[in-house]
Amino acid sequence: MRDRIYRYLKNIAPGEIQSMIMIVFSVISVSIVLCVGIVMYLRFSTVSREDTIENTQKLVEQTGESLEDYLVNMRQVSDTAYYNIIKGNDFSGKQAELQKEMNLLYQANKENLRSIAIYDSKGRLMAAEPVVSEKEGTDVTEQEWFWQAVEEVENIHFSTPHVQNLFDDGSFRYYWVISSSRVVELVNGSDSDRGVLLVDMDYSSVSRMMNQMNKADNGQYYYLCDNSGEIIYHPRQAQINNGLGSENSYFVSTLKDGVYDEEFEGEDRKIIVNTISYTGWKLVGVIPPESFSYKMIDIQQFIAMFLLLIAMMLILVNRVVSARISSPILKLNQSVMEYETGENPEIYIGGSLEIRHLGESIQNSYQRNAALMQKVVVEQNERRKSELDALQSQINPHFLYNALDSITWMIEGERNDDAAFTVTQLAKLFRISLSKGHTVISVKDEIQHAKSYMNIQKIRYKDAFTVVFDIEPEVFNYCAVKLTLQPLLENAINYGIIRGEDEDGEIRVMGRMEEGNVVLAVQDNGIGIPEEEVEFLLTDSNRVRKQGSGVGLVNVNNRIQILFGKQYGLKIESEPDEGTTVSICIPAVLYNEKNRGILEKGYQFSKEEIEDRK
Amino acid sequence: MQIRKKIFILAETVLAVMVIILALIMIGDNRGESLGRVSVIVRNPDDNRWSAFKHGLKMAAQDYNIDLMVVSTGDMQKAEDERRIMEHEIKKGADALIVEPLPRVGTNEMLEELSGKTPIMLIGQGMSESGKTEKFPVTEPKQYKMGEVLANEILKDNNRDMTGKTIGVVSETTDSESAAQRIEGLRTFLEASGGKVKWSVSGDFGEVDDDFLGEQPQVDIIAAMDDNSMTMVGKSMSENDFPKAQVYGIGNSSEAIYYLDSDVAECLVVPDEFNLGYQSLTEVAECLKHSSHQLKSQEISYQTIRAGELFSKKNQQILFTVSQ
Repeated sequence: MRDRIYRYLKNIAPGEIQSMIMIVFSVISVSIVLCVGIVMYLRFSTVSREDTIENTQKLVEQTGESLEDYLVNMRQVSDTAYYNIIKGNDFSGKQAELQKEMNLLYQANKENLRSIAIYDSKGRLMAAEPVVSEKEGTDVTEQEWFWQAVEEVENIHFSTPHVQNLFDDGSFRYYWVISSSRVVELVNGSDSDRGVLLVDMDYSSVSRMMNQMNKADNGQYYYLCDNSGEIIYHPRQAQINNGLGSENSYFVSTLKDGVYDEEFEGEDRKIIVNTISYTGWKLVGVIPPESFSYKMIDIQQFIAMFLLLIAMMLILVNRVVSARISSPILKLNQSVMEYETGENPEIYIGGSLEIRHLGESIQNSYQRNAALMQKVVVEQNERRKSELDALQSQINPHFLYNALDSITWMIEGERNDDAAFTVTQLAKLFRISLSKGHTVISVKDEIQHAKSYMNIQKIRYKDAFTVVFDIEPEVFNYCAVKLTLQPLLENAINYGIIRGEDEDGEIRVMGRMEEGNVVLAVQDNGIGIPEEEVEFLLTDSNRVRKQGSGVGLVNVNNRIQILFGKQYGLKIESEPDEGTTVSICIPAVLYNEKNRGILEKGYQFSKEEIEDRK
Repeated sequence: MQIRKKIFILAETVLAVMVIILALIMIGDNRGESLGRVSVIVRNPDDNRWSAFKHGLKMAAQDYNIDLMVVSTGDMQKAEDERRIMEHEIKKGADALIVEPLPRVGTNEMLEELSGKTPIMLIGQGMSESGKTEKFPVTEPKQYKMGEVLANEILKDNNRDMTGKTIGVVSETTDSESAAQRIEGLRTFLEASGGKVKWSVSGDFGEVDDDFLGEQPQVDIIAAMDDNSMTMVGKSMSENDFPKAQVYGIGNSSEAIYYLDSDVAECLVVPDEFNLGYQSLTEVAECLKHSSHQLKSQEISYQTIRAGELFSKKNQQILFTVSQ
């Protein structure tokens, strides 16, 4: 897998510099922004959780204090009833006064009280406030608050909420109360007896406090249970009673004050436990997980929005920055490409110091290259010219030797006229051979050169053959390569005439236009050339150098092709014992100084240019 | 256009679209938004007998975040009044209705017509017209079974032999399917044990003389088949000099319980009205949450309370919901 990824990365083609800069910048900046986002989220999340727990803890503590105040108040009511009213009054003689004092106490606290009642040890009602009729058949000694007080006489006992089952006020209502009960000493004349003082607190006071806590609609809730886990208040108490809900109060009642992680019914939640003094009741704040996530959704949305906006901005900034950085490089690259296609010879020089230096270096390099190329072309031309010159120069010594040998021979034989004619022809021949050093001459001069050459050869070979010049006048005005016919004529004499001694030799020189080209041909009626040798005549100069000046057809062919191109050159047609025709095919370039100059510089005309120049 | 530029525009466009979508999500955040508005239409909603029912509704409304409206209907008597109120509530934007159908002619047609527009959950069945109301979703206890349980309690106190015992049956109405089933359950069971229903009265007792029992022949046992009947029997028994008869009833108000507490009644079958409210609204909430959800009938439980057991821990829970 790693190898595959490595290979993939290795094969990724290099992109444009601006894209690369932008991608790299974007990846780095987006990574940084993502990291910042994650760190922000984690930090916000932690702070938010801590805040939620801290606020819940504070609320639990505050409400716990309120509940304690309330219970202290109830204890004070109980104390006042006992120490100020019951202890100071005799039930046998001061019933009315006792009732009056109880009434005053009740009136002072009636907002939180349901009733104050005093029972003797047998459960008989001694006094009660407010005054209402006692329910018939009610045995208070069986009620929890009574026997709890009797069992532990030294304490004030607080019950869990229950329906008051003592009085009948005719309202058809059943009151929920929390009873505080204690054993008191009742004085009845000279007797004293134990009794129970009951202060029934209105449950609605507690539930009001707790309802106030539970108003927030964020999933958190608070409940109150006693030290055995019996629920005193729960916002979903009715649901719990009806089996539609449950609470982990029995476990929580065993916990000390603090913050705990609790798993209940598959839910991980935080609970804050606060114990109410004296009663041992537990006030519990529950923070379910959705309560945290409720707040976190806002933070998540805020961070997501922040990240998106930052990403948008970064992409924009990265584009501007990458464009700014890459612009001079791209301009330099563009100018180099234009230079290469020949559209613009100038290299861009601009941008930062480094890129400016790079541009200047490239420009200098190109300029040096151009100069070098120019030099190479000149050297190439010179080399070609010297090659041509060398080829031409191969003709002269051999022929000159033969011609001078003939002249010597004529002078010795006192054939002065013939010698003079030969010298004249030789002079013409050399005049054209020199042609002021030009390589290209007119066809007319080339034919003249051929005539002079043949006249000299005829003298040498004592008219052993006849020469016929069949030239269309039309071809005279076109360009020809100097000294191309002479080697062909030499070959015709050597191979066609001298070696075919039985018959009268005839050499025919023809000149004509063919398909827009100038064709000059030398035809002999000699022995011909075997077919197997014809194909090597233009390719292997060493193979056929048995006779002649040594200037083979290969040289002539090369010279023509150097000047006019590969499509031109020689064509050889031969039949053994019939003769041979060697044709020179060259383009019909009109002979004038301009065209001659161009051709000699090595320029090769295209067909169209040749047509235009006619 | 250069590919570089295209990618840049594409990336910015995608991000801009994401920003817009996120902004719309943030603006349209419906956390804490109500699931819907549910109107509750019952006769005399301020009556004590609805206390537990309304408490159940309130708790379910909190649990499912529903706007709850208990409509002040007064003592509506006519099916037309009920129809007018229901149409008014639908017009006001109620997403669903919880309705106590009146045992009046035309109620079923009206329900059939209106339930096409808005989901309607019934609490109790309306007029018995060839069982037409069965096609509407109803939340109620098993009415026949409650009558049977009441009869069973009577039998228990009479050594399961009712031979020679006379029974008077008091019911608010005999027109409703619910009442009819309760009475049938009671009668079937008692008559099978040799009991004889001497008389059976029904009516809106609020409009008749408090001593309506005095006008009836003496019986050994009086069975009050609904809360209204139970409170009226209790009141009549405690205030008037009616010959002593054993009273058994079905009821859920604090008044009905009071008469049990004050030994006027022997036994009370208490339908779980808290669950009546809670379950009916829970089912409606499901319907509001999932539009494909079809309202289904719900069955609620009931509790039998004997006079001496009223203040047991279990029964105090009933008193808790009743006294809310």
